[in-house]
Amino acid sequence: MKDRVRFSSKRLFLTLMLCACAVILLQNYSLGRGGGFILDVIAVFSGLALSFVFFIPSIILKKKTDADLLMLARQRTPRAAVAVSIFYAAYFAYTATFFLIPYTDMFSKKYYPEVSRCVIALLLIAACVYAATKGANVITRFGIFLFAFAMLTNLLMFGGSLTALDFSNGFRIGDADSLFGDVVYFCAPSFTAVIFACLAGQGRGFTVKQPVIALLLSGLKYSLVLFFIRYALGSYADRQEYRTFVLSRVAHFGAYAGVESFYLALATMSVFMTVSLFFCCVCRSAGMSGSLRVIVPEAVFVFLLNLLTKYNQTAEALLTNKYILLFLTFIAAVVIPVLYLFVWRKFNAEKNKHIITEP
Amino acid sequence: MPRKISILLLSLSLIFSSGCRNSRQIENAAIIENVSVTVEGGQIRYTFYRLSEGEKPWGVTVRAESFEKACKKAREMYIPNMSLAKLELLMINERLQSRIMKQDVEYISQNSFFSPIAYVTLCDGKTMRKLDAEERVQDVIEEQLILLKKNKPQVCIDYLSVFNHLERECEGFYVPLIRCDGEIRVTAKRIYADKTQKNEK
Repeated sequence: MKDRVRFSSKRLFLTLMLCACAVILLQNYSLGRGGGFILDVIAVFSGLALSFVFFIPSIILKKKTDADLLMLARQRTPRAAVAVSIFYAAYFAYTATFFLIPYTDMFSKKYYPEVSRCVIALLLIAACVYAATKGANVITRFGIFLFAFAMLTNLLMFGGSLTALDFSNGFRIGDADSLFGDVVYFCAPSFTAVIFACLAGQGRGFTVKQPVIALLLSGLKYSLVLFFIRYALGSYADRQEYRTFVLSRVAHFGAYAGVESFYLALATMSVFMTVSLFFCCVCRSAGMSGSLRVIVPEAVFVFLLNLLTKYNQTAEALLTNKYILLFLTFIAAVVIPVLYLFVWRKFNAEKNKHIITEP
Repeated sequence: MPRKISILLLSLSLIFSSGCRNSRQIENAAIIENVSVTVEGGQIRYTFYRLSEGEKPWGVTVRAESFEKACKKAREMYIPNMSLAKLELLMINERLQSRIMKQDVEYISQNSFFSPIAYVTLCDGKTMRKLDAEERVQDVIEEQLILLKKNKPQVCIDYLSVFNHLERECEGFYVPLIRCDGEIRVTAKRIYADKTQKNEK
């Protein structure tokens, strides 16, 4: 029933933009230490331009069929649909873990060192399961509230750091050695293309400028965060993990200092919304929207992956590897949708042939 | 059926959430709000002042070569639950500036629990003694520091800006210097990073 509910595509992209912004909120040591703001911005926009490429197959599918990949898979290739569903379930479990690990790590390091990372993950996953049962429509409505909250938090964070800006280092170009790694890091928002590939069928009023605007606004947010980290925190940022968190901590208005509680709330809600959308996509791939029978096993799997990372360093390294994420995203957002574009074309060609030969 | 499940979940959550085995009462937690560094008989002394509402400040003094060692020693010997997350002010005797300022600010920059916008200042021996005797001294110093920053924006009053200037190893920068001649006065003192330290030695 929830599968048939259609909502504004603008709202979907507003939600996807907030999901993309979660990447920078959880930023830690992963970015290169080139020290140049200009190269950082080049990395941001190159990464986001590549992310847009990931949207193209799903955009074509949506424009031509007004359906999404998962609907096509179930209608045109019922046998392969099971394999596709399993792949997307595994992909979303990987990506959910990719986000949960830095979030739980930051939460436990910065706020409650005595609380286990797994407990935080368990609580967040439980909330996500509840949200996923309500469907993508409700989650995107929550996105509107989150957008307003994100605006307030960013205003406080950037406004409160304005007086601390120090340009004595100038606008250095930086060291190009880490540029490739940084571009790959900023390709991480391409996971939103996979969500779009799975939920596009539920959106109405889609235009191509929507993903472009969403990615441009994400790029603007990333650039602002990098600008303030570089010029308000300076070298101090290089010594600290989770630099965006430190940025929220130094924001001050007169005697009042630190908006880290706002930052924590924003990061929590962004991760919550992202993981909930992943669960919704998994439900959609199984053709059972909002079903606990699909969400609970997926949630348990995600939790087990989190648990595994606690005891196994190799597993943690694999589950937070930006190159693996990019490779899997490429398959999920480009390879499979392109295959289904061919399937759809073949089906149409056969249909037209049938119509022509019938008389 | 759903009611039974919700009752069961509620009971379980009550069982698990009520356990306070590792709880720490806020009164018992040693929240440090100010640290002063002095020298006596050639030995460096770190005094950790706890957050308190009494008339006289409550401090623990340890002898150590650096802030890192002092924190470790204070935790081991006097205040096991010591919390430095609310540290607002680090006061260094002006004679110790070239010896310990860089290493201590460096240690603070590597630990995420310290607030990057806590104040760092140099001061004379009289101010240290006044700080030992009167509770309100820290508030007065903080007010004066804010005023100084307002009048002279180039003065580095917090860890963040002091650390960045020390890292830059530039020609020199200003830090606050507190003197006590009956009343507390804050002025700016120009200090130098590595180059001058070598000269001074």
